[in-house]
Amino acid sequence: MGPRQGPILEVRGLSKRFGGLTAVSALDFEVREGEILGMIGPNGAGKSTTFNLIAGTYPATSGEVFFNRESILGMPPHRIARRGVLRTFQHNRPFEGMSVLDNVLVGAHRLFTKNSRQEEAERRIRAEELIEFVGLGGTASADVGTLSFGQGRLLEIARALAGEPRLILFDEPAAGLAPAELDRLAEIIRGIAARGIAVLLIEHDMHFLLPLAHRVVVLNFGAKIADGLPDEIRRNPAVMDAYLGSHAEHH
Amino acid sequence: MRWLAAFVVLSGAAFLLGDYHNDVYRKMLLWVTLALGYNFLFGVCGQVAFSHFAFYGIGAYSVVILLFQLNVPLPLAIVLGVLVCIVVALAVAIPSTRLDGFYLALATLALAQLFVVVLNEGGSVTGGTGGIANYRLPAIFGMQIRGPWYTGVIVLVLLLTLWILMKLDRSWFGRACRAVRDNPEAAAAMGINVARTKVIAFTLTSALAGVAGMVYAFVDNTVNPPIFGLENAFLLLFMVIVGGSGRHAGAVIGAVLLFLLPFWLSPIVGHHHVLVFGVLMLAAILVQPKGLIAIWDRGRDRFSR
Repeated sequence: MGPRQGPILEVRGLSKRFGGLTAVSALDFEVREGEILGMIGPNGAGKSTTFNLIAGTYPATSGEVFFNRESILGMPPHRIARRGVLRTFQHNRPFEGMSVLDNVLVGAHRLFTKNSRQEEAERRIRAEELIEFVGLGGTASADVGTLSFGQGRLLEIARALAGEPRLILFDEPAAGLAPAELDRLAEIIRGIAARGIAVLLIEHDMHFLLPLAHRVVVLNFGAKIADGLPDEIRRNPAVMDAYLGSHAEHH
Repeated sequence: MRWLAAFVVLSGAAFLLGDYHNDVYRKMLLWVTLALGYNFLFGVCGQVAFSHFAFYGIGAYSVVILLFQLNVPLPLAIVLGVLVCIVVALAVAIPSTRLDGFYLALATLALAQLFVVVLNEGGSVTGGTGGIANYRLPAIFGMQIRGPWYTGVIVLVLLLTLWILMKLDRSWFGRACRAVRDNPEAAAAMGINVARTKVIAFTLTSALAGVAGMVYAFVDNTVNPPIFGLENAFLLLFMVIVGGSGRHAGAVIGAVLLFLLPFWLSPIVGHHHVLVFGVLMLAAILVQPKGLIAIWDRGRDRFSR
């Protein structure tokens, strides 16, 4: 299933300067429901900064971010999350003292309205389904400390999904995973988009991202240098120069 | 049903004990009540605060001053006493939880110190260094609650505290508290208002400590500054850590053990019991960093396999 309806996330003229350094410069892009938008760029291109501006981790210098037509720029992270924008962390951040199930239930925090046993029981069943969905079946009551790194990444995803997001932000989800785990991850992300959830995926690994994304935004030195279908991005000489060129130097 | 059984057993025990042992027993129950509340604040919500025992004192002094200096009727005095605790707790928590962790520790340490200073310098209102004494619990519905019967009131407050905390702990609020303790940034990313969660947990547990203090006021029928000294705040912290931080059962074990230990130790080692006490504490923390409750957990795991 491809993109549907109008954009759920609209970013207009977003800029962020740290002192004299412009990390993100006049960035425009949008994400639709059910769409996987990939954002790539070499290290230091401004991907993580863009991510953190949308999630509310730090304030923007200028620009606008609309979620569901409401301006969310300048809101603290918990208020953005409450509106249905949930995220994963690049370096897994589980709640260490809790079971896998409780971790996932924390993700559902924004959905709790009353304090009834029934609501708790419903959320619990839903959380168990999500644990199953990401492939952590059988670990629900396990302590999170017993999970492997790859399982921890899956937990990040189940936790974010528990809040029934309308937009999910993935911060380099492929980082540190083994090839077999990457296939599984791609399958999960496709499954999420198929549910009609908008996906913004920030990723360093082009080989993982291009087959997965519906559309790709390429950043370099904080500015957008390309925006199009994965095939167009593959053929774009500016992208190859900026991205693969800088990549080649590392090897 | 289980709660009723617990009430009957815990209160009934008072009738089997002599005057001296009943006095020790009541104070133990109050320490357990305090440790349960402090465990929620420190163990579940991860807030390092040293004001819990001060709120116990604020509750005790408030109810005594309201009743006997201002002649407020008992039900109103209880409500106002709780209100005093809530207002003071909010005044401390709102500014300090907006900053990072250790500011709360500093602010609450200052509050605990300031409280004792205010008690000593409070003139006729607080009774100064001598405190306030020679008062009696007013009659409730025409009844005078005395002797072992008053232990029932303490048990009631203990069980009510435990019930509230268990209910909270199993709710989304309790989970939010644990999330804030374990990883505040991830908690915020899940929609949890970290500052508000901390303020609510701090205010609520402080109010519970205040209620326990009100009950204490009629145990010895005297309140004075040395009772509410800062060293008690550290004893509470030790109780929770030795028993098993974040666990209700851990708080109970820690409180009972650490409260009774000096009574067992002082006949054996005399004045050196404080030193032995310290060594035992250190050993317990080094050998069982997850608290004594972890021993029980391991035993249960082995049994169920």
